[in-house]
Amino acid sequence: MTDSAVLHAEEQGSLEAVIKGEVLRMYQEVAEHPEGEFHFHHGRLAAELFGYEREWLDRAPPGAVASFAGVGNPHLRSRLQPGETVLDLGSGAGLDSIIAAWQVGPTGRVMGLDLNPTMCRKAEAHAAASGVRMACHEGRMEDIPLPDASVDVVISNGVINLSFRKRRVIHELFRVLKPGGRLSITDIVSAKQLSQSIVNDPKLWAS
Amino acid sequence: MFGLLEDAGFKRVRSTVVPGFTFRKQSTRDAAEAYGVKAVLFTAQKPAT
Repeated sequence: MTDSAVLHAEEQGSLEAVIKGEVLRMYQEVAEHPEGEFHFHHGRLAAELFGYEREWLDRAPPGAVASFAGVGNPHLRSRLQPGETVLDLGSGAGLDSIIAAWQVGPTGRVMGLDLNPTMCRKAEAHAAASGVRMACHEGRMEDIPLPDASVDVVISNGVINLSFRKRRVIHELFRVLKPGGRLSITDIVSAKQLSQSIVNDPKLWAS
Repeated sequence: MFGLLEDAGFKRVRSTVVPGFTFRKQSTRDAAEAYGVKAVLFTAQKPAT
């Protein structure tokens, strides 16, 4: 590797660390102060906009609904069946995990994954308050701490765009899914290459 | 994202734009529009064999 390549890699790593910190801070802020103002719509208003069923939002713990920060509704196409094992990538305050757990029932299993251990504990508490179990794993979506072929369905909501290594994330999803397994994910995409000033702005990554 | 899913080996990759998605702040909305930023629902399947 050339000196400039090493330097570029170091800069990239440093920027990635800064962005990771900003993402953690932003989503913890949404969870702890859902009444705040953010770049994105969140909470019940956003969930209703994306077609979440009112019954789900009435049944789920208010804290899980208020902290919802998704960009769409992965449940529209997830076709979850009783007994299935689900991974909620970037489970946040747990609303999508809870809805998935209701669908797969007591013979199914829902696992969350979140970078933030505080969010993991919050999601598990919200799930328990909903009468369902979900186990949240603290970890990075680029290195999912699950065995190969262990999941029937992956759901995710507005999370993969936060990764610097999206190709790696997608390969991880392929690895953890069982043969025939499926994914239903909502995310932000751009039609044009973003400018360097946007790519280098941690606050915009976290928005 | 569509290409990444296909490259990884997923089949039956489908995408549909999420209606109603928008950023809350006008300045972010303007930038998002300039870059064609959208929310999209993707579905895909890992081959059975």
